[in-house]
Amino acid sequence: MSTSKKINNSTLRLEKGDITDMELEAFVFYAQSDLALGSGFGNAISMRGGLAIKKELESIGSLEDGKAVVTGAGEMKATHIVHAVGPKFQEENIESKLETTMINTLKTADEKGIKQLAFPPMGANFYGIPLPDCARIMVKTITEHLKGKSGLKDVLIIPMDNREFKPFEKALNS
Amino acid sequence: MGKAWDSVAFIPYAEDNLDYLPGTQASFTENSMSKERSHKATKVLERLSKKLNRQVVGSLVACVHCGMCTDSCHYVQTNPDDPTYAPAYKADRLRKIFKKHHDWTGRVIPWWVGAKSVWTDEDLEELKDIAFGKCTNCRRCSINCPMGVDFATFNRMTRGLLVSVGVMPEGVSVVSKDQWEIGNQMGVLKEDYVDTLEWMAEELQGELEDDSDMIPIDKMDAEVVYSINPREAKYDPRTIADAAKIFHFAGENWTMPSEGWDMTNFGLFSGDDDLGGAVAKRLFDKVIELRGKKLVISECGHGYRSTRCEGPNWAGMDIPFEMESSVDTMLRYVKEGRIKVDKSRNKTPVTFHDSCNNARSCGLFEEPRELLNLVCENFTEMYPNRAENYCCTGGGGAMSMSEYTPRRLKSGKVKADQLKATKTEIVVTSCHNCVDGLNDVIRHYKLGMEVTQLVNLVANALVIPAKIIPVSIPDEVLVLAGKKILVVDDEPDILTFFSTVFEDNGATVFTATDGDEAIKLAMAEKPDLVTLDISMPGKDGGKVFEELRTNAETSTVKVCIITGRPELRKLIYDRKVQPPEGYLDKPVDEDTLMLNVRKVLELA
Repeated sequence: MSTSKKINNSTLRLEKGDITDMELEAFVFYAQSDLALGSGFGNAISMRGGLAIKKELESIGSLEDGKAVVTGAGEMKATHIVHAVGPKFQEENIESKLETTMINTLKTADEKGIKQLAFPPMGANFYGIPLPDCARIMVKTITEHLKGKSGLKDVLIIPMDNREFKPFEKALNS
Repeated sequence: MGKAWDSVAFIPYAEDNLDYLPGTQASFTENSMSKERSHKATKVLERLSKKLNRQVVGSLVACVHCGMCTDSCHYVQTNPDDPTYAPAYKADRLRKIFKKHHDWTGRVIPWWVGAKSVWTDEDLEELKDIAFGKCTNCRRCSINCPMGVDFATFNRMTRGLLVSVGVMPEGVSVVSKDQWEIGNQMGVLKEDYVDTLEWMAEELQGELEDDSDMIPIDKMDAEVVYSINPREAKYDPRTIADAAKIFHFAGENWTMPSEGWDMTNFGLFSGDDDLGGAVAKRLFDKVIELRGKKLVISECGHGYRSTRCEGPNWAGMDIPFEMESSVDTMLRYVKEGRIKVDKSRNKTPVTFHDSCNNARSCGLFEEPRELLNLVCENFTEMYPNRAENYCCTGGGGAMSMSEYTPRRLKSGKVKADQLKATKTEIVVTSCHNCVDGLNDVIRHYKLGMEVTQLVNLVANALVIPAKIIPVSIPDEVLVLAGKKILVVDDEPDILTFFSTVFEDNGATVFTATDGDEAIKLAMAEKPDLVTLDISMPGKDGGKVFEELRTNAETSTVKVCIITGRPELRKLIYDRKVQPPEGYLDKPVDEDTLMLNVRKVLELA
């Protein structure tokens, strides 16, 4: 099965790894509305990125559900982080909320002129969205976005391990 | 449902009559205009239907409320006047929901069997308090139940139901997210983990004057792949070095993985089977990728249970390699003569604490005792022991739930009395969670005991072959020479102890007994390191830490938090500043103190 797909002049591809430790222009962090980095990927951003990111987030304050905002990535290998506030823990209308979050994240990245953007499995794992649903919605919204007018040339989904990789591979090839 | 059900609807004995209306969940909503179930409660009930299996249902229907479980619980023993700690009472909090929605008795005679649903988010908070805050899932009540009711199993399931809707203690959330996204439950980054392994390997090379690869990383086709608890990499790297020394002298062909190395599994504690499967699969996949022959699990009760016993089911995998506890590995090395040990090197009287997960859940209780008797001169049992031993108080993830610390420490009186009665100076345990739980109990009840693990005792008893003679570091090599260290603590004994250790190693030491003095000295002396207590009169360590970090003159000074109150760690880590470079729990011995200080200061 293929792990990448050409959409217009852009590519959507899968690459296994640690999204917070990759040479990328920008990656997405599945944020909380108070923009506190917290644990998990947030911990990795704090430790690898340094204080600059926290300070930038403090100056922004908070963010509505479904919205996204861009900050620098401090001392990380990436240049930007797109903080996106998605749905969590079986909340109501979770699939449509995830779609909205994805669309707003892609738009925000475009507005910032970002050409390369990497996503983690949005809302899956800790926040409980089943991986097959997460993969289906992510691949669908990214594909639709890239079919329109977008400056994004390289969109990646970064599963952490084999378990996460397979549903995305299936969604990409369906 | 027919008319017969309708007559039941008017029975007036209910706490909540609406709950006793007949029929399904849908009919409640239709019949009860004044009461709507919250979204979270609805999701919990939906998931409950999916999670029920024969084992859980058997336990839910079998209880006859005989009370045999009551006295087996350390929470009950320390709260004799509070019935809400009784295992049967706690079990009934979930049982009533099960009866309401899944058992015929709940539909026919709901008032009799106490069938009652959950409706509100507050109901879920009450369940959380029971499931997370009044039970460590130690399973002592389970083995004392004549009906075979395994309360811990469905308490874990209750936790999982709550976690699925985001209702959980903050600490459970933090640790779970770290394990999901970083790959280990303490958020140790890959570079820090690998750096720690390399550092320990270099230490061993120096100690043994031997240039061999002391800790091979990602070696293919090894006989043994060694997995650890992240606590070892973060707080106690000495256990890694001790294990490496044992593997080295046993002539083992072994390795440690660079990824997928965490054998702990917070899914066991949080009840999240998906996390359980994801974590287990990462570890199993890595061993398969390295073509390892055997996975050896370092001394950790829940790690052993979740990796060896539960992991294959959670991950849905057939495991093509053997798995064993490092206790079995070390015992085999001694019995086969692969390592020689001299028990006279461990003279201090020791006792042994059985980890609940190792002993009650996995039957690992004779092996550690056999090994202890081979490497220690003076071993005394505590009573009760083996499967009947009491929880260290830190089980079930309790160490991460600081809001329940007072309850946990109160329940620790049972363990404290057990320890005291042994009249020993050291308690040995094969579990990292228990190390922390026991240290807390020992500190709280002022028992003055030390906690250690078998790996440390075996390494200490190792007879090094004659041609490899460890060379002690010459006196004139002072590792902290030229370094300035500020020791901040309100306890005079600690100030004296830390100062002596640091000065003996060549550092220039300044001391402060309160926060204001600490800030002044830090500004004036610009130390290389501040060791900082959290709980102090006046300005606490959290405030001092934030001031140091936010002041341009001191923001880059390295800080190692050393506290006797781990429940206060939120005071440090919740601050919006760069986290401290080091963290240690008191009591701390000289070796651990120096190992951590050298790591923080990046000294070889």
